[in-house]
Formats: sequence, structure tokens, C-alpha cells
Amino acid sequence: MPFELTDIHTTADVGIRASGQTLSELFRDTALGLISVIGETGEFKEIRSIEINLAADSLAELYYDWLSEIVFYKDAERFLPGRIQIAELDEEKPKIQAVLYGETINPSRHTLKIDVKAITHYCFRIEKEGLFWRGEVVLDI
Amino acid sequence: MKNSQFIKRSEYIWEIPVDFKPGMKVPARILSSPRLIEGIDDRVIDQITNVACLPGIRKFAYCMPDGHVGYGFPIGGVAAFNRDEGVVSPGGIGFDINCGMRLLRTNLTLDEVRPMAEELLNELFRTIPSGVGSRGYVKLNRAQFNSIMEKGVGWCRDEGYALPGDAEHIENQGMIAGADHKAVSEKAVARGIDQMGTLGSGNHYLEIEIAASENIYNRELARTFGIDRENQVLVAIHCGSRGFGHQIATDYLRVFEKFVRQLNLGIKDKELMAAPINSEEGRSYLRAMACAANAAFVNRQLIVHGVRDVFRRIFKKSEEELGIRTIYDVAHNIAKFEKYEIDGRVEELLVHRKGATRAFGPGRPEIPSDYREAGQPVIVGGSMESGSALLCGTEIADREFFGSTLHGAGRVMSRIQAKKSVRGDTVKQRMKDKGILVRTGHMPGLAEEAGHAYKDIDAVVEAVDALGISRKVARFYPLLNIKG
Repeated sequence: MPFELTDIHTTADVGIRASGQTLSELFRDTALGLISVIGETGEFKEIRSIEINLAADSLAELYYDWLSEIVFYKDAERFLPGRIQIAELDEEKPKIQAVLYGETINPSRHTLKIDVKAITHYCFRIEKEGLFWRGEVVLDI
Repeated sequence: MKNSQFIKRSEYIWEIPVDFKPGMKVPARILSSPRLIEGIDDRVIDQITNVACLPGIRKFAYCMPDGHVGYGFPIGGVAAFNRDEGVVSPGGIGFDINCGMRLLRTNLTLDEVRPMAEELLNELFRTIPSGVGSRGYVKLNRAQFNSIMEKGVGWCRDEGYALPGDAEHIENQGMIAGADHKAVSEKAVARGIDQMGTLGSGNHYLEIEIAASENIYNRELARTFGIDRENQVLVAIHCGSRGFGHQIATDYLRVFEKFVRQLNLGIKDKELMAAPINSEEGRSYLRAMACAANAAFVNRQLIVHGVRDVFRRIFKKSEEELGIRTIYDVAHNIAKFEKYEIDGRVEELLVHRKGATRAFGPGRPEIPSDYREAGQPVIVGGSMESGSALLCGTEIADREFFGSTLHGAGRVMSRIQAKKSVRGDTVKQRMKDKGILVRTGHMPGLAEEAGHAYKDIDAVVEAVDALGISRKVARFYPLLNIKG
């Protein structure tokens, strides 16, 4: 399973545990996990796209900033993606280039669940375990 | 930690001494009834003792009876830091800066509202935007939003969104001084500018409640606060600064990272990042925090404006006939400079209240003149099935607990567990059977907010009343509830 929702770290909020064979898979699937908390990912059609270009001092920071960017566009542009394409993800000099394909939130057409307002640093984790990249994130609801 | 390691200082005060954890500068004190202390989460103990390690902390790190796991500070955490030697920590304020409660009185009674209940609920749901992606009914340009950040409810008064008496009955008259929009990122503005006047989601709600005479514990205080008739209809609003405050917290946690080593904080929890109050970064955060706090006061005020409009339309009565007035508005995620006497010397302290409410006792000049003899009203939100409580601050709170008390019931069950335990439509039916109508955009969300996911509000209120840090005034039960 690329991601699962968990409550092991928090009573008031929701956590995501994700894994991937590649770093790109981990980044993509954690983001899809985040979107699944807010809505039904499959309902967001590819009507417009947003390009993401981020660089950070560490991989953990990049992972945090990447997920925060999804939260930002959800509020600032009322945009949620249904598909994510990661063009480049550099582990050594942490940076990411990606495109989010989705549409403007429409309460009459979209199933909207619960708002995610921030990514927290609480129990935040990204690391390689054997062949897999694993990440753990707690979302502020 | 085993409860046997607590030092019992009184029936309701449990102390964790400084030798519990290396680096603790003061003991931690958990305020709790003997029953509630049994169920306390070890992570709460870890978090409140981490707080006790922060530089410049004074007296004790407190955890209120509704305390539960947070980020950095536990929710229910109160700590005060010396202005010169201390730190400011966004984790001691919360992501949702100035999340708070507004309580309104009306001249209406249950008999007048019951026949219109469904219509009122639907019209409130239609008028007050809630849930993911909702936008406020006031379209703001950047200059107006800057003004909101810096003037708070003063902006609402100038623009006709507030009535006389609203600002006076809000903490700090609805404006935290020192706000500067230049301390706020463009990203925060982009997230917040369209969200003013929206309820949000999660545990945020708008509720129509009833004050029945058997639930009024102190008639004199209740009358002072405007609760003056049998089965009176009240309105409770719980929400904060929305995406705007969250972005400010996110931005400054990154800015504060560099102080973790510099201050030798030695902590594992990055959410407890802090900066010296007197650093440029610390001052900048406080200016931005004030912007978010002011935006949150405006957010609640714009919702109040919408509520008044709905009531006028549904009941076809004038503003004066309806008598919808602000009883009070409290911030329960905030830090403020306040003066307290410590060891015979008056110190200026930055009091962090994270999931905790200011509870000033009688006579304080910060309390509006019509309540000054009584003390500051404290509004405590429960679950959507339990309603809320009105308390009043005391001198004991001022003297012993940095003028602070609890803020709500506090969760005991996670959202995922709650959804496994009950279905949203079952909760809706259960509430209907109790005479409570509820509307939400997302039915499973009702399960997440079910009454059994929270501590018993009466037990936590009982604890603060017994401690003497707040006096019980009244309990209100819900009639209508809108969940984001």
C-alpha cells in the first residue's frame, strides 16, 4: 500500500505513513495521501495544472515544503490535484520539479471531507529502509 | 510516567519535579481531577516537561484539565516567559493563531425558535461559509486586508460589520497591538484574503444553544453577562484565523530553526522551536502573530454579522428586538504580554496560552467596565453533542496560574478511532433524538466530532471550579449545530 492514514501519534489530527521504491513515488504518494484526507482524489479532473519548483537545504525540508505547497494551493487557489507528475527529484542537492494536474474545488461536484491546515514537524520522518523510502507525516486538521 | 511519580500538591494539582528530566528549569504542574489524572497520556507529560526546559520560563509550566497531546506544547499548556530572558514559541500558541470562542446572547427564547428551527439551520448553513474551499462573503483587496491585520475589529466597526458593544466585549477590544502586515508573507496573505468570515472545518462550529434555568449556576453573574430570561437562545461560534494563521506559524517555524542550536534547547520536538523575545526574529513573529490574531477576531465578527442578518430575515424582527449582543469573545491560542508579581517583584511576561483561556479575576482594567466587578467571562466549548459552558475568571487564576484556565473538553479519541466507532448518520440520528439538528457538508466528519470522542465537559469544568481558577456561571445545551 503506497500510503495509509494513522492515528498513532495524535488524538486530534491525522497522520500519513507512506512508502515507495523511489523517492519520487514516496513524494507523490504522500501527497496523494494528503489529498485523500481532504477529498476524493479521483474526482479532481485534469482541467488545469500548476508547476512546482522547490529547493531546500535537506531532503526532510524538501519533503515538508512539498506537502506544504499542496496545502498552500488548496487555500490560495482553491486547487486540488487528481494526478501528480514528478519530472525531477534530486536527493543530493534537494530539489523537486513537478506538475500538479487538477481543478478548482467545487463543493457541488466534489466530495469534501476535512480541511488540512498545515503539515506539522511532529514525528516527521523520511528515510530509506532497505529498498524502500519511507515517510511519516502528521497533518494539522 | 507512572502517576505515583506525581507530587500531589492539592486535590487538583499534580506536580512533576525538575529532576524528572534533564534541563527542566521549573516544575510542571498538571491541573486535573483525581479521575482525569488516571487517563492522562504519557505524551502530555513529555510535552509539558519539555516546555519546562525553555529559557526564561517562570514559576511552573501548567497543563489545564482539558490537556491533550499537541505539537510542542500540549493543548491546554500555559507558560510565561520573562520579557528580557525568555523566548516566544509558535508551538506554545498553535497553528491556528487566535482560535477562539464567541458567545452571543439574544432576546429570543426556545419557544420562539423551535418552530423555525429547521429553516434557521438551513439559512445559517447557506449564509455562513464552512468546510474545505469555502470563501467569505466580503471581497477584500490587499489594502483592506492590511487594515484587518492591523486594526482588527476596528476595521469591522468602520465598515459597518460590528455594532456598538461588540469590540468592547472582545479580548483586547478585538485588536492586539503591535501588528505589522510587513511581518507577514505573501503566501499567508494569499491563503487568508478570501477566507475572512468562514467557519473552516475540523472541530470548528456554529451552534444555537439554550440557557435553561436549571443550568444556570450563578444567576447574578449570568444576568451581568446578559443571560436574563428562561430558555434564552444563545449563539456560540468556534473558529480561528484559518489558513492565514497556519501559514504564519509554518513560515516562522522555519525562521526559528536556527535558534534550536543557538539556545541549546536540546529538544527532539521541532514543534517546540523558539526564539528569544528580544531577537529580531522573535519580534517579527510577534508582529505577525498579532496580524493573525486580529484577522481571527475579524473572522468571528464577520460570522456574527452573517448570523444577525439571518436572524433578521428568519424572525422578521429588528436589530433592537432581536437583541443579539456579544457576551464575550476569547482567544484560546495566543501569547500576550502581561504583568505578574513573582517573589515580590512585578515582571513583564509573555504568557503563552495554547488551548487555554485568559481568565482575569474581578477588578482588572482589561475587563470591560460592565463586567469588571464580576470578572472576565470564559467561554468553554464542548463537543457538538454536549454544548458549552460559561465561566468567570477569579483572583486565584490571576495569582496562581497567570490568569488562565481551560478552553474546552479536550479529545480522548482519535478521528480515525471515532470514525470506526460510529457512523456519521448514526450520530446525526442520535443528536436528533436529543432534539439537536445538525448540518454539515461531510457526514463522516460528524463521527469524528461525536460526543464520546471528547472528555466530559462537566468533569473538566468541575475541576477548574473546584480549583477556584474559574467560577461556574451556566451550561448551555445545543439546539442547532453547523459543522464545517
